[in-house]
Amino acid sequence: MIIYPVEVILVVTGPVLVIGAGVAGMTAAVELADNDVKTILIDRKTTIGGNALELYKAFPTDDCFYCFEGNRWRPGIRKCFYRSAMIDQPNIDLKISTRVKGISGTPGTFLVNLEVGPQYVDPRKCTLCGLCTDASEAFHLVSPQCQPQAVSYNPERADDGAKKAEEDCPTGAINLSATQTEETITVSDIVIATGYHEMKPSTIDEYGYGKLPNVITQLELAQMLDPNGESSGALLRPSDGAQVKSVMMIQCVGSRDENYYPFCSKICCVFALKHASIISKERNNSRVSVVYMDIRTYDRHERYYRETRDAGVEFVRGRVSRVEAHKDGTLDVYVYDSLLNKYLKFVVDLLVLSSALEPPEASNELISSLGLNSASGYVGSADPLSENEVVAGDHVYACGGALGPAEVPESVNQARAVVSKILQGRK
Amino acid sequence: MPVYSLYMGCSVPANYPNYEAAMFKVAEALGMELNYLEDVACCGSPNLRSIDSFGWLLVNARTIAIAEKSGHDIVTPCNGCFGSLKDVLYHLKHHKDDLKKINVELEKMGLEFKGTINVRHIIEAMYTDIGIKEIKSKVTKPLDGVGIAIHYGCHLLRPVDVTEFKPEVLQEMVYATGATVIDYPLWKQCCGATVLPVNEQLAIRLARDKLKSMKESGAVFITVVCPACGNQLDLQQLGLKDSYGEVYDLPVLLYPQILALAMGMDEEDIGLSMNRVPADPILDHLSG
Amino acid sequence: MTETEEKTGPPVTLIDPIDMTKLDANFRRDISSMPNGEELSACFACSTCTAACPIANQWNYKPHQLIRMILLGMRDEVLSSKEIWECLTCFQCQERCPQNVRVTDIFFDCKNLAAEEGYVPENIIALAKSLVEKGQLYEIINDWEREDLGLEPEVPGLSIEGIQSILKGTRTHKLVEGDE
Ligand SMILES: Cc1cc2nc3c(=O)[nH]c(=O)nc-3n(C[C@H](O)[C@H](O)[C@H](O)COP(=O)(O)OP(=O)(O)OC[C@H]3O[C@@H](n4cnc5c(N)ncnc54)[C@H](O)[C@@H]3O)c2cc1C
Ligand code: SF4
Ligand code: SF4
Ligand code: SF4
Ligand code: SF4
Repeated sequence: MIIYPVEVILVVTGPVLVIGAGVAGMTAAVELADNDVKTILIDRKTTIGGNALELYKAFPTDDCFYCFEGNRWRPGIRKCFYRSAMIDQPNIDLKISTRVKGISGTPGTFLVNLEVGPQYVDPRKCTLCGLCTDASEAFHLVSPQCQPQAVSYNPERADDGAKKAEEDCPTGAINLSATQTEETITVSDIVIATGYHEMKPSTIDEYGYGKLPNVITQLELAQMLDPNGESSGALLRPSDGAQVKSVMMIQCVGSRDENYYPFCSKICCVFALKHASIISKERNNSRVSVVYMDIRTYDRHERYYRETRDAGVEFVRGRVSRVEAHKDGTLDVYVYDSLLNKYLKFVVDLLVLSSALEPPEASNELISSLGLNSASGYVGSADPLSENEVVAGDHVYACGGALGPAEVPESVNQARAVVSKILQGRK
Repeated sequence: MPVYSLYMGCSVPANYPNYEAAMFKVAEALGMELNYLEDVACCGSPNLRSIDSFGWLLVNARTIAIAEKSGHDIVTPCNGCFGSLKDVLYHLKHHKDDLKKINVELEKMGLEFKGTINVRHIIEAMYTDIGIKEIKSKVTKPLDGVGIAIHYGCHLLRPVDVTEFKPEVLQEMVYATGATVIDYPLWKQCCGATVLPVNEQLAIRLARDKLKSMKESGAVFITVVCPACGNQLDLQQLGLKDSYGEVYDLPVLLYPQILALAMGMDEEDIGLSMNRVPADPILDHLSG
Repeated sequence: MTETEEKTGPPVTLIDPIDMTKLDANFRRDISSMPNGEELSACFACSTCTAACPIANQWNYKPHQLIRMILLGMRDEVLSSKEIWECLTCFQCQERCPQNVRVTDIFFDCKNLAAEEGYVPENIIALAKSLVEKGQLYEIINDWEREDLGLEPEVPGLSIEGIQSILKGTRTHKLVEGDE
């Protein structure tokens, strides 16, 4: 272990690398940058915002995620967290479509090898004119508020229309022959903000996910409910586009299950009930039933539980015996009700699984290349007993979903804790 | 002198005239004027409420409306009547729609429910309006700390937003006689009287659990403020002796009987001999 | 289902679930629209009511299950249950319910609906009869006891007429008449 003389610590001023531009990473980057710390913010996707982009309304404020309450005060962001700051703040160097390939060096002077691109669309040139999205399915606009303000290109869907768009793009923003480049940067601190991934529960066969089109996950439901989505927010059966009249949600799918993930995913009860509330209040009073083993609407979120009960959402404590699909698209769901000690048979249009929130792919590589603790695949705190849960290692921090399932306010708080730790280290 | 409209109901007069007599004796000594309400109907509790809630509301609203004319609060010695009247009072104050419907019916009888008076248990009226200090000053033959188990009765205590009765009231009243209140685990439990018509065995078992809990905690007497509870705890002791050979020997006294004895009144005047489990051992505990 | 019926055809499938589409979804609404039902839907099946109930151990349907059955729409099962009539009306469940569900009061409402549909135990009808015919639940048998204590021989202030005229034409009257 290298012991630095005090003076050396004082001169640690190198840039900070933030991996992942979800709400946690963005908060860390913006607040470091505001404190004159040079920050490199990378995300492997073409658009920043992470999982929160898909969420439509968010607890605890029930606002649209594009207008994030906690940041309305901020000049330059105003009402929208995703607007401008990431792009305009001179201390932030945002790199989209970028991943970490390798890390070497020592704490305080990490050498990070990045894979950048290919950058098929140049966000500084794209004006969102819509020509390419009309011409080819390979182009699409993630959301009207996306940052950077540019369309995304999916090479797997390449077609002749794409070629034509490349030629016709009025600003010459498209380059379909773009290739990946590599770049090595030197940074003093690393902030891991890689978030979570919603498990695709196709291996849990009693629910039929992946086989029955009307069995979906909560994140997929969130996209259906989004007025900017394909159905403009109408709740339609994936199998035939028929109006959904009854929805059943199943909690703890893959969570609290030693065969999948031993932990409680912590926020699925809250967002399931957020969705139940939206459906029963805003979608023609569709009937919603929730099958659960415990409802964990922690601390202030208990209100969602109470409100949904008041709104007539039906709660069944128990588990699903089996799901049977009918030709007409409906599903028979047999549920054992442990409170009544009876089996109940429901007929539903849509079965929504509250699937476990798992560590994102490549989380393990980051953990092992930096020699960090693993907490069921998420980044573990360096000292699990200390109050500094965001400290993952020497000059290595983590915040938000990267540490385990967390809601947005908690992710943001953790990001601020990271910023505070880094600034303290530089005094 | 505080004046009250006394609602007797049918159970006390029919089954416990000794309760009625003791109550009058004590009230007189404490300077309370009790005037029988005239022309009032049986409260129907709780059976009428079970099968015909509107009829039940109307019968009791009528009683309250009649009492309102004199302007004095209603007092009653029966938990069943207290519960019914209090419940109806609460209901009509909280449900304006039902109040309207009730008043339409009452108008036909030349009455109106206005909600200007309260319904109170006689014990609470003694406690609040006369006061423990005054009551104590009338005690000439205090009980020598003998352990008494209080059975409050469900409809006196619950639901508390309706009954507004605190258990401390009766506790202090018992202490005022010089006796000691025995804590026992099942103090909140029902005596079982209400289930007698539909499941007698269940009623007996409830009384038994309760009596057992009292006895095991060292009670020597039981005091009640309701004829139905009194009847159940008293009567079932005889039954339990017959069916299981269990002997509890816990005399059941209506609270005013105890207070009357402590005030030095004659046991004949308060009908002590009518209590089924012989109550005379209590006399051994009187001083002076 | 009796033995003989079983023999005439194959038995039902091992899991014979309650078909939710056959239940009465309006039952929940009926009860919650009654004056005590406001908080019904707040029930989260914690079973505090059952823990508080002194006799639930003797019941096939426990108080929290009855509330659940109301929420699910199991109208016939609730209204024909013996449990609602055995309820002591002791209010222990209601006192402790963490969601302010008026459990005991809701059971009173259920009994009223049950009475409307004619499910009333005989002995309760007998009491109703006494109210209708005699204007009181209890009658004085030994009036000499009262006289010994210096009390008037009749039930003081009781108007038999008062209750009789009110109950005329109400459900109580119908129940009693139907019984005859
Ligand atoms: C269905 C659902 C509903 C929800 N509803 C709410 C709600 O109403 N309110 C609320 O507060 N919370 C809600 N949440 C939780 C919310 O989504 C998270 O709290 C929040 O998104 C976490 O932000 P994050 O920045 O930590 O992670 P993420 O949003 O997951 O962002 C991580 C980012 O890192 C990038 N990344 C990952 N790995 C790498 C890598 N190796 N290299 C480069 N980039 C990488 C990803 O592309 C992503 O952009 C919900 C979650 C779900 C699943
Ligand atoms: S055609 Fe060019 S400018 Fe228009 S949306 Fe596509 S990439 Fe952007
Ligand atoms: S939050 Fe709820 S659904 Fe999610 S794992 Fe925990 S208990 Fe299960
Ligand atoms: S105590 Fe209240 S909330 Fe709990 S199960 Fe009973 S009625 Fe429902
Ligand atoms: S009121 Fe009825 S259900 Fe409630 S605790 Fe008493 S007996 Fe049980």
